[in-house]
Amino acid sequence: MQKQKRLGLLAKQKAAGWGFLTPASLLIFVMSFYPMVQAFITSFKTGSAARLQWASPITYNYTRMFQDTVFKTAMGNTFLYLIIQVPIMLILAILLAQLLNNRDLKFRGLFRTMIFLPCATALVSYALIFKTLFAREGLINSMLMGLGIIKENVDWLGQSTTAKAVIIIALLWRWTGYNMVFFLAGLQNIEYSVYEASTIDGANGWQTFWSITVPLLRPVIVMTGIMSINGTLQLFDESVNLTAGGPSNSTITMSHYIYNNAFVGKANFGYTSALAFVVFILVAVLAVINLKVGDTRD
Amino acid sequence: MIKKLTALLMALCLLMGVSSALAEKLTVTAWDANFNGNALKAAYEDYKANVDPDFELEINIVSASGDVEQAITTAGASYDYSNLSDIVLFQDHFIQSFVMDYPDVWMDLEDAGINWDDFGAEKLSYSTVDGVHYGVPVDNGTAIMAYRVDLLEQCGYTIADMTGITWDKFLEIGKEVYAKTGKALLSMDGNGNDLPYMMLQCEGKSQFKDGKPYITENEDLVKIITLICDMAKEHVLILANDWTGYTNETIMQDQVAGVFNGNWIIPTMSQVTDNAGKWEITSAPTLTGAEGYAANGGSSLYITANCKNPELAKKFLAYTFGGSTQTYDNALRTGGVIGCSISAAKSDVYTEGVPFFNGQAVYSKIVEMGASVPIVEQNDYHYTCRTAISNAIVNIINGADVMEALTNAENELKFAMGL
Repeated sequence: MQKQKRLGLLAKQKAAGWGFLTPASLLIFVMSFYPMVQAFITSFKTGSAARLQWASPITYNYTRMFQDTVFKTAMGNTFLYLIIQVPIMLILAILLAQLLNNRDLKFRGLFRTMIFLPCATALVSYALIFKTLFAREGLINSMLMGLGIIKENVDWLGQSTTAKAVIIIALLWRWTGYNMVFFLAGLQNIEYSVYEASTIDGANGWQTFWSITVPLLRPVIVMTGIMSINGTLQLFDESVNLTAGGPSNSTITMSHYIYNNAFVGKANFGYTSALAFVVFILVAVLAVINLKVGDTRD
Repeated sequence: MIKKLTALLMALCLLMGVSSALAEKLTVTAWDANFNGNALKAAYEDYKANVDPDFELEINIVSASGDVEQAITTAGASYDYSNLSDIVLFQDHFIQSFVMDYPDVWMDLEDAGINWDDFGAEKLSYSTVDGVHYGVPVDNGTAIMAYRVDLLEQCGYTIADMTGITWDKFLEIGKEVYAKTGKALLSMDGNGNDLPYMMLQCEGKSQFKDGKPYITENEDLVKIITLICDMAKEHVLILANDWTGYTNETIMQDQVAGVFNGNWIIPTMSQVTDNAGKWEITSAPTLTGAEGYAANGGSSLYITANCKNPELAKKFLAYTFGGSTQTYDNALRTGGVIGCSISAAKSDVYTEGVPFFNGQAVYSKIVEMGASVPIVEQNDYHYTCRTAISNAIVNIINGADVMEALTNAENELKFAMGL
């Protein structure tokens, strides 16, 4: 009798669990998985958008990519952002988190808010603000001129190296605070007594950071790493709004190129879907590597 | 019983009233309230006053021309036309690609009773696909070459000296103008560079030949690209990083002594009120020194498959933009829209002198120049080509070899076209 009642309770809990899960799962299935399957099917088709036909050979869109110079450029640009921006950003975020975790620091809340605040701005608006800042007649140029650092206005967004640098600076400004919040949360989970013990043992700040903070933060580092890699590979707004991919495709990202193929000029949805799947696979592979590297289990 | 019958009758009348009111209504999408929005308003008022007092037109204004084109791409690709308005307005270069890609979205205008001879052949060459008319021309894309006569005068030139010259001579004068006044003689959006297309059209040629890219073997185009790069290096031409840079910085911040683009650029130029009366227009230079005529970026109205009352839409378009003087006069007066109808351009509003252009009768001049624009081969990969060539120009200015950069551009374009 008692047994039956307990089972009933379990079943009830199970049912409640499923009840809570179903709406979200259904939405994810309809909004994400179904389009993904459709996109995968589309990636094997060619022709104009309203008259898609199976490609012959069936892998045409995928083999075609190897001759696509613009996609190679876009991939190069994206990986350049990834390699330069993500490490700088994560290191900065950890250092800032460490600084702002200091209990003796005054106005901690204020500083935390200030560093997190860029995340509250919309991607398009911050990209447009950076564009105005770095315009030929923009604030940065007038400041540098006023300080006597440059003699004539620099066309920041008109040269490939400076344009790339501006995008990286913009990304750092926008995302460092965001990652810092995760590290702050991670740091809060580390017992303060561990630090006290290390101080008693005579460890200096640097040693404490590397031997205690970093290992204990490892799960957070892995998570922010995956998120940043994922985000950078799908970078879109900055490339579109800040530089429009220019000059001469030198700042275009993979997502921007994918978008261009679908919605700018002549639409080629088959090829576009194939490109999108390549990005999908890249993200998956990098995430798996990241997980393996960060795995603490033996 | 009688009561019931009357009630029924009344309800019927009401229903019919509602349905007839619905039937007399059309929707149209355009993108600039002050420009083509006003032209559509002029057409609406004309049709309502002179043809059908019950007629209603709902004008949806979106924020950029690209929004209309994107809405069509989205609707066409998803086979869901329900969000398209009855009539859409978009830029001429898109229709070839749209008819190819989404043939079911469009209704042809063969039986609309429009006198096509009243429009310039070049303008119609965009909206005619395989001999079938799809669009009614609205604004005229005829290019103007406008100069600041006061600045030219400082260098000892007149507008007549600038008419019928070679681009080499233009470059010479441009250097002088830059040295004496600090202003460039020309500017353009370097990211979507329309100069190669327009300059090549002045020569009567296209970047396409028999449906294939015609770039590296096109001697005139190679010369033109070299010229553009030379002009940019000599400060004669400012290539802005994007469209807003072109309009808001080079033109509106008064950095140029010359403007070469479709005449829809006039409202942008007019923003600099300090320079009113100092501008005049003429034809463009060419490689040979003949007078050059080109067109860029005019737009036309197209009826979509979502139109519930195509007969009304055709009647409306045929009456108004098909050649009604009232529509064209008011479109010009309130929106600055210069139409394409040859007969409508004979009205007084068109022949008036314009104070901003030193009293020159620019509107009739533009329509007249429009008749001389040579027809060149159009291709549905126009914008892909423009991007590739724009990129090549940026690369050449930054030190790349001309032929190498153009070969890359041609390969890029061939790749996109699947050739």
